[in-house]
Amino acid sequence: MMSEPGVLTIKPQAGPDDVLLRIIDLTLHFPTYRGVLGRQVGGIRAVDGVNLEVRRGRTLGLVGESGCGKTTTGRVILRLYDPTGGRIEFDGEDITHIQGKKLRRMRARMQMIFQDPQACLNPRMTVGSIIAEPLNEHRALKGKEKEKRTRELLDAVGLNPKFANRYPHEFSGGQRQRIGIARALALNPDFIVCDEPIAALDVSIQAQVVNLLKDLQEQFSLTYLFISHDLSMVRHLCEDVAVMYLGKVMELGPRDLIYKDPMHPYTKALLSAVPVPDPRVERARQRIILKGDLPSPANPPSGCRFRTRCPVAFDRCAAEQPAWRKVAGNRWVACHRAE
Amino acid sequence: MLNYAIRRLLMAVPTLFLISLMIFSLLKLAPGDPLSQLPLTIPPEVREKMRAALGVDEPLIVQYLLWLKQFFVIEPLRGFDILFGTHLSDGMQRIISWQTRGPVFSMIAERLPQTLLVVGLAYIVGVLIAVPIGIVSAYKQYSVFDQIGTFLSMLGLAVPPFFSGVLAILIFAVYLDWLPTIYNTNLIVNSWSNFTEQFLQMAMPVMVLAVQTIASISRYLRSSMLDNLEQDYVRTARAKGMGENVVVFIHVLRNSMIPVVTVITLGLPSVFGGAIVTEQIFRVNGIGQLLITAIYANDVPTVQTLAFIFAVLIVVFNLIADLLYGVLDPRIRYD
Amino acid sequence: MLRMVSLLAGAGVASLVATPALAERGTDGVVNILSWQAPSIMNPYLSGGEKDTDAASLVLEPLASYDENGELFPRLAAEIPTVENGGVAKDLKSITWKLKPGLKWSDGTTVTAKDVVFTANYCMDPKGGCAALARFQGVDKVEALDDLTVKVTFKELTVVPYTLFVAMWSPIIQAKQFADCLGTKAPTCTEANFYPVGTGPFVVANFKPNDAVQLKANPNYRDPNKPAFAGVNFKGGGDALGAARAVLQTSEYDYAGMLQVAPDVLSKMEKGGKGKLLSVFGTNVETLFMNLTDPSASLPPEERSTDKHPHPILSDVRVRQALSMALDRARLSEIGYGSMGKPTCDFVPAPPIFAAGNTECLKQDIPGAVKLLDEAGWKPGPDGIREKDSKKLKLTFVTTTNATRNQFQAIIKQWWHEIGVDVELRSLDASVFFSSDPSSPDTYQKFYADVQMWTNYSDAPDPGEYVATYTCNKAPLPDKQWQGSNVPRYCDTNYDALVKELGKTAAIEKRAEIVKKLNTILSDSYAIMPLVWRSSVSATSKTLGGYVGSGDSRFWNAQDWYRRK
Repeated sequence: MMSEPGVLTIKPQAGPDDVLLRIIDLTLHFPTYRGVLGRQVGGIRAVDGVNLEVRRGRTLGLVGESGCGKTTTGRVILRLYDPTGGRIEFDGEDITHIQGKKLRRMRARMQMIFQDPQACLNPRMTVGSIIAEPLNEHRALKGKEKEKRTRELLDAVGLNPKFANRYPHEFSGGQRQRIGIARALALNPDFIVCDEPIAALDVSIQAQVVNLLKDLQEQFSLTYLFISHDLSMVRHLCEDVAVMYLGKVMELGPRDLIYKDPMHPYTKALLSAVPVPDPRVERARQRIILKGDLPSPANPPSGCRFRTRCPVAFDRCAAEQPAWRKVAGNRWVACHRAE
Repeated sequence: MLNYAIRRLLMAVPTLFLISLMIFSLLKLAPGDPLSQLPLTIPPEVREKMRAALGVDEPLIVQYLLWLKQFFVIEPLRGFDILFGTHLSDGMQRIISWQTRGPVFSMIAERLPQTLLVVGLAYIVGVLIAVPIGIVSAYKQYSVFDQIGTFLSMLGLAVPPFFSGVLAILIFAVYLDWLPTIYNTNLIVNSWSNFTEQFLQMAMPVMVLAVQTIASISRYLRSSMLDNLEQDYVRTARAKGMGENVVVFIHVLRNSMIPVVTVITLGLPSVFGGAIVTEQIFRVNGIGQLLITAIYANDVPTVQTLAFIFAVLIVVFNLIADLLYGVLDPRIRYD
Repeated sequence: MLRMVSLLAGAGVASLVATPALAERGTDGVVNILSWQAPSIMNPYLSGGEKDTDAASLVLEPLASYDENGELFPRLAAEIPTVENGGVAKDLKSITWKLKPGLKWSDGTTVTAKDVVFTANYCMDPKGGCAALARFQGVDKVEALDDLTVKVTFKELTVVPYTLFVAMWSPIIQAKQFADCLGTKAPTCTEANFYPVGTGPFVVANFKPNDAVQLKANPNYRDPNKPAFAGVNFKGGGDALGAARAVLQTSEYDYAGMLQVAPDVLSKMEKGGKGKLLSVFGTNVETLFMNLTDPSASLPPEERSTDKHPHPILSDVRVRQALSMALDRARLSEIGYGSMGKPTCDFVPAPPIFAAGNTECLKQDIPGAVKLLDEAGWKPGPDGIREKDSKKLKLTFVTTTNATRNQFQAIIKQWWHEIGVDVELRSLDASVFFSSDPSSPDTYQKFYADVQMWTNYSDAPDPGEYVATYTCNKAPLPDKQWQGSNVPRYCDTNYDALVKELGKTAAIEKRAEIVKKLNTILSDSYAIMPLVWRSSVSATSKTLGGYVGSGDSRFWNAQDWYRRK
């Protein structure tokens, strides 16, 4: 039921320099207050120096444990939060601090699919109006045309166009996520952040939605940032993978290289937890069990973030933050051991 | 939905009967005497005769059944007569107040206009002011506006009308001499100067009552808005590139109003019930004052009738609130 | 309650009466009256409550009324019948009233003796629940001798025949209007009860029960130049403090009465100079009542608080006297009423001719009280509370819930504690305490306590009826449904004999002498302890002229009011 990764190779290959989205040292610190007078006493470093590149027409998988800042990163990229530092470049344009009309125009090109398909749809609006609403705002489509476009979109995501007059609660989880996708597609975006789009769905429906995303990518030449904690799904869908830990990206590279030869001990630990379909290999698989809990993002460890749980940590890890280094070609890693 | 409403109303009938019986029993069990306010110089034998004339000493079941008959048969017939000019209720004994020896329903009809005007207007003014305050407080949570709003709401909820009312009188009537302290229920508005007079005499009671509505409704709306502002669909709306006005007023406000509309609807019976304290302070003499004087005077027929009407109103407005919920929230269906 | 200006309070009033206006009818606009207890009915026969009878007195008139000095003056009557002018029969068994000729009802019809006879029939109907029925007791028949003459015949010798058709409680109503309102039909006549046709200076134009009454000048009033006001705006609701404010501070209203407000607050308001306070001393006396019978809960209900069991503590007069001596009545009066009250030892404080003027109780004497209790055999126990035969000297003291009364309770408890008496205080809602419901255990008449406090008063200037309330046969008993006016269950054959003698004495000087004697007997029994002679306080605006606060109704001379320019 899953299509082979090879299917994607039919797509026109984007050149290595054809970067649609580039993120440099992106930070987002939420201030924390304490006391009667509410003095600012520190900050939650939800995103703390993230570097990413997403190439046009490709899918970058962003993986990590829950709470590591994946979702926040996705939202900052779409400027749903204002970054506290760093830079976001979209299609060669710096969008880090744009506001007002310019931002709204940019939003038409960047969309998001949310994890919870129920919560992301306004319960008091019909499916048709949810999909059509941005069309008024950005496309100035009128009556018939708008209806036609809505029907097209519903059709594109595999829903009966007659459903336009129904309310979100009348649909199943998978159908709602299709509505969410149709809505995201309404403005013909270039780039879509898929924030764990299948996590809340039944396993039987997950594959359908993933395949739909793939088909749509092909059909509309979309670029995806696919946020997930499901490494098998990421392997299936993404060409590139970034591994995030406590607000920072640990490793970034092409999927096959990452899965075959992970460089960062955290990546290794994550991959060791993924079951393998081959029973022989599965039996021989050795899990690397990480000890301890994820440290608080309000007070991250010195030096390397991961050192407190790293099986191969040594003195330098506590003293010095590992640099974000290009190892080879498109591979980047931040680890003293990988030098 | 019609079936649902009818079913609910039918289910309310036994409840209301039970309520009427309970009100009656409680009033009868409570100590007190309709003649206790009379001068002590009226000798005991005469008091006995007066009690007998009022029917106070009839067996309780007789008194209760008589009231039921008067409330459910004679008074509706009377209403029918007034509407259609018939004479069905002629010669029938209506519910008579022990204080005034006049029909209770005439008194209610006489007092309802000023209660609806003052308490109702205060409610409307309160809601109209509360909504923008709630929106801004939630949208700019923890801003100076929100902090001031929170403080004033707490003050509005904490300060009882018998304090704020007297304070208002001291400031606006005694020291500034701008507003009258006594509400003239006989004022007929038929000219510009009458209108001004009516406006001035309503200003203080409406103000005092509206403060409480503002305080509670703005708090409700604020917390409901805050709940909704955090929802993914709001993020969706922003991600769609919708302007902030659309996001706040179309997406967030409409969803936030669902519980608030319910709260507002459930508060409506109290508009009919009047405001006992505020009506007393400003001598608006509406339904609230009628109830409290009747209670003081142990005027059982009046108290019983009013309490029962309130019970009916509460049942009806609860139903309306539920039905409104269904209209406003497409997720809820009554079938 | 009857309001009479005592000699002490008269000075302030006299200046107000000085200049009657020479105006025409209806030229002075509207007079605004604020009564925090609004009238609920305009027919005094169906209410008896002061708020209603006072308002009704603007519309309905009796044959004769009491003026500010407690003297009778004719209203509808041509003159006051007396034995001298032949109006009262020599055998004191009948009285003949003559109406003024040419009197008109407000609807223009003529007032006749038939209306007076009808009024008697209306009130004397046993099913009507007439509040003034007591005034008609002892009446054998009321008959019209001609169109202007009414003869009332009594069953027995009646020395004070001025009860029915006299004062605001018993006005004349129109036969035509109330013809169908006799007996059980009385309460159904809403129109007549709210809009009675009268002979008074005003007519009801708009009646909203318990809210507002609008009255306009009676076009058929007998004096063509009166009243000076074209109308009365009578507004109710709110509380006494707010009513005082509306007259004294914001001057929205001309008159507010029954101002039971702390004395210092009122005098502060008066200093604003927009209005005046008026204290009228009637017969109201705040009084302590001692239970002379045993209220112990261990007794069977038909014997509890009855003369079958004398009170274990209070039946000893020495104890009662000691309790009285421990009181400082002047302090109480000052604290609770300021200039609106006077300490008193008399339960009949007015009119002056009947007042005994005793003063010996006014001095507080704690050592004397201690000595008396010692003599009575009550010795201080280890905790300071006196004991006798291992029984503690402990009393339950009940009154109504009211700031002044509860303050009094606390102060009295303190004084009694000083002489070794333990006091348990209770307060009850007035509507419960004054209830006539025989099934309630908390009524003042049942007296399931040792000491009670409330205000007692007489409603006629002649205290004959009032002193008769303490005869032996008036004690509340279970087989009388606990109805009876002799609440302390006082019983003295000498007292009863004197009351009987008073019933046969017509000469006023003689009567006064007997009343004074009765007053002293009762005072010396210490069964009731008068504390403070209370006035009724009202406020009038500077521009209301002609107002005289005393008389049987607060508005008894409304026809003479005018607007001061």
